[in-house]
Amino acid sequence: MSAYIFKRLLRMVTVVIGISLVVFGFVRMIPGDPAVVILGERGSPEQVAALREKLGLNKPVFLNFQEPSELFDTQYFRFAGQVLRGDLGEGIQSRIPVTDQLRNRFPATLELSFWALTFAVLVGLPAGIIAALNRNRPLDNLAMTISLIGVSMPVFWLGMLLAYFFSVVLGWLPPSGQLSTGLSIEPITGLYILDGLLRGRLDVAWDAFKHVILPAVALGTIPMAIIARITRSSMLEVLGQDYVRTARAKGLARNRVVVKHALRNAMLPVITIIGLQAGVLLGGAVLTETIFSWPGLGSYIYQGIFERDYPVIQGGVIFAAVIVSLVNLLVDLSYAILDPRVHYS
Amino acid sequence: MKRTYLTALMVAALANGALAAGTLVYGSGGEPVSLESGNITDGNSIIVQRQIYDTLVDFKDGTTDLIPGLALSWTANKDATVWTFKLRRNVKFHDGTPFNADAVIFNVNRWWDPKDPTGYRDQGRNWEIWGQLMGGYKGEKSSILKSVTKVDDYTVRFTLNSGFTVFPDVIGAGYFGIASPTAVKKAGARYGTPGVAAVGTGPFIFESWKTGDRINLKPNKSYWGTKSKLDQVVFRFIKEPSARLNELRAGTIDFTSELNPDDLKTVRSDKNLVAVKKPSFNVGFLSLNVSNKYLKDVKVRQAISMAINKKEIVEAFWGELGQSNASFLPPVMNWANSKKVPADYKYDPAAAKKLLAEAGYPNGFELDLWYMPVSRPYFPTPKPIAEAIAAELSSIGIKANLKTKDWAQYLEDRNKAPGFDMYMIGWNGDYGDPDNFYSAYYGPNASDDSNYQPKELNDLLAKARAAVGKSAKAPLYAQIHEITYNAAVRIPVVHSFPLAAARSYVKGWVPSPLGSEAFNTITLDGKK
Repeated sequence: MSAYIFKRLLRMVTVVIGISLVVFGFVRMIPGDPAVVILGERGSPEQVAALREKLGLNKPVFLNFQEPSELFDTQYFRFAGQVLRGDLGEGIQSRIPVTDQLRNRFPATLELSFWALTFAVLVGLPAGIIAALNRNRPLDNLAMTISLIGVSMPVFWLGMLLAYFFSVVLGWLPPSGQLSTGLSIEPITGLYILDGLLRGRLDVAWDAFKHVILPAVALGTIPMAIIARITRSSMLEVLGQDYVRTARAKGLARNRVVVKHALRNAMLPVITIIGLQAGVLLGGAVLTETIFSWPGLGSYIYQGIFERDYPVIQGGVIFAAVIVSLVNLLVDLSYAILDPRVHYS
Repeated sequence: MKRTYLTALMVAALANGALAAGTLVYGSGGEPVSLESGNITDGNSIIVQRQIYDTLVDFKDGTTDLIPGLALSWTANKDATVWTFKLRRNVKFHDGTPFNADAVIFNVNRWWDPKDPTGYRDQGRNWEIWGQLMGGYKGEKSSILKSVTKVDDYTVRFTLNSGFTVFPDVIGAGYFGIASPTAVKKAGARYGTPGVAAVGTGPFIFESWKTGDRINLKPNKSYWGTKSKLDQVVFRFIKEPSARLNELRAGTIDFTSELNPDDLKTVRSDKNLVAVKKPSFNVGFLSLNVSNKYLKDVKVRQAISMAINKKEIVEAFWGELGQSNASFLPPVMNWANSKKVPADYKYDPAAAKKLLAEAGYPNGFELDLWYMPVSRPYFPTPKPIAEAIAAELSSIGIKANLKTKDWAQYLEDRNKAPGFDMYMIGWNGDYGDPDNFYSAYYGPNASDDSNYQPKELNDLLAKARAAVGKSAKAPLYAQIHEITYNAAVRIPVVHSFPLAAARSYVKGWVPSPLGSEAFNTITLDGKK
């Protein structure tokens, strides 16, 4: 088992290096670099060229063939050297260290992802099970129609609708942000709800919870729909298996069969999907975070892309890659626990 | 446990009570890039900096008229090459450092002198805006500034390489807030980032900055000017205009700027809100590339100008939030316009068609019309505006293919030969002088996007820069106005009034045409 984990971690390092190369090359291939964005309407070509030089953007990207003696004096190797020291560089214009930003923003993404996934599982799972048990009946059609709408609704549109309806029209929930302006809390974990509970500040916890509802629903809708569909098909497959029929024939009650025999086996593909979704969500939800002014990774990377802030994009993407790889590893390991047929040795 | 819970609730109740007494929440269009003065140009940074820092020169509420700031008075020699600023006494930075001539020189050297160690250029600082507005940096031939010296503790002298009559306007621009030398030296290259306080002499003191979320400021109780009556000012970063409007309507923010023009109706229909038209200090225009084989003919360019009904377009897309005139300058600077140029463009498709025929294109031709993919204050909704322009052009036989690109790419490609045939762009002013507008697009350092650079214009611009007083400047700018109007290379479409809005209990907010104003005169009258 530990050998397997070690092998996987080794593979992860390779993946991350690969991703760093790809991201590094890609962001520099996009026309329009930070110098252009910083200067905006003001930028004449001369000014852009001068600023490029100041920002060190005129160094070769990967290898310096002009000066073979300085073959490695390039943007990539400088960056790689920094990364090995645990430093992802600074925002080009803001000069804020990327690692600081990731550390400050990850808790917000974690919190949002957790609630989005909770919503997705709590709604998607029962919907899938109910649909499977009522195959081709109105309930099934209803559940599947809702999930179809969920998958096809653009998240920014859904987000805007939710914000408008629940905060402007009804006034039940705050339209965006993470905490009301009158409240503040000294962070312990950076997860506001948890910190509120830990510090006995129930008002903060409740306020933070109210803030997370709408973005979590908006973000969780697509995973919810996917989970519902996978659960349904997986349940149907299991319910058609011989051992389920045997269990029913032995006179076991239907509910008992569903819960004890079918559900556990049907859960395997669902767990995979939940894991994959968790990985995706933890990488930062660009649109949802932007619409709801949620201070997480997604809005940070989005801003970075828009401003062509290379260190921010590189750091953000590499960090997200690490997170996704780790989550996938955890999913694979949980497989071994759930499915006795799977062994990692 | 129970007791702590009760105390927590009591604290919360107290906190909420204090909130009603005066926390002002501003919905900002985004997060500041940095709170370091002299190193940024984005509006989100400037609006926060304006609260923390003072500039040497200030502007009268709602105008571009100069009033004393950290400098009580300023005088120039006859040819505007030596400027002497008398400084305000007994002013302290928020960290207790006294404000004096040394502090001013410290700041100026950071911006201007590439060798200044506290400029941290080796760590990526670029002080770009100084070079833009002041011609260049120390040691460069183009630098307007020649030296800055201390006459005594409260007198600073700026010696310039050439006459620059609007020097006070420029040094007073919101970019050049005076920061505490002590704080800068202490924080080094980290100064102005979220974990480090920004320290000025301004009406508000930096409290905290939660990245991606908000910045908190508290009033400066020993401010030299009008002391704020508020308990706290909060800047929340809300990128989407529609989200800002939602927040405003829900009452979770008190005021905001840069809403979509279409939202004016919504704002007006909500009895809790007040719509605020900001003064216009921008121009949105259509830029024609004279290296294009059709557009090199001035008749073609004039035909294009005549075929577009700018008044109607402004009416349709901006309503009362925009104004069209035949000048590159916003209405505030009408004094610099020529009497010979009509106040408005002539809209005459028939005459335009005739001009095209005279130029040899009776059946028109085809070219690309580029519009930006982002909302800018001068073109909040570029695409439909581009569609309207294209429709007008098709009526005289010109087929305009609409195109767009990512903003960064757009900005870069416009200057790459051959450039765009025709594209939409604009300008937001920095200070109240026509030079700031004209030089940006017609000056020697302007973009290469139109390939139109007659020497005559350059000479006139240089002369106007050195002319003292409006009466000397006006005739020169009138000439510039005539030349550019007749050339029809950059066709002004609109001067927009950015839409802002506030809850009705926000009192005393006077938006500045220069884009940022201090919030120290704002009071909350009955905020729940």
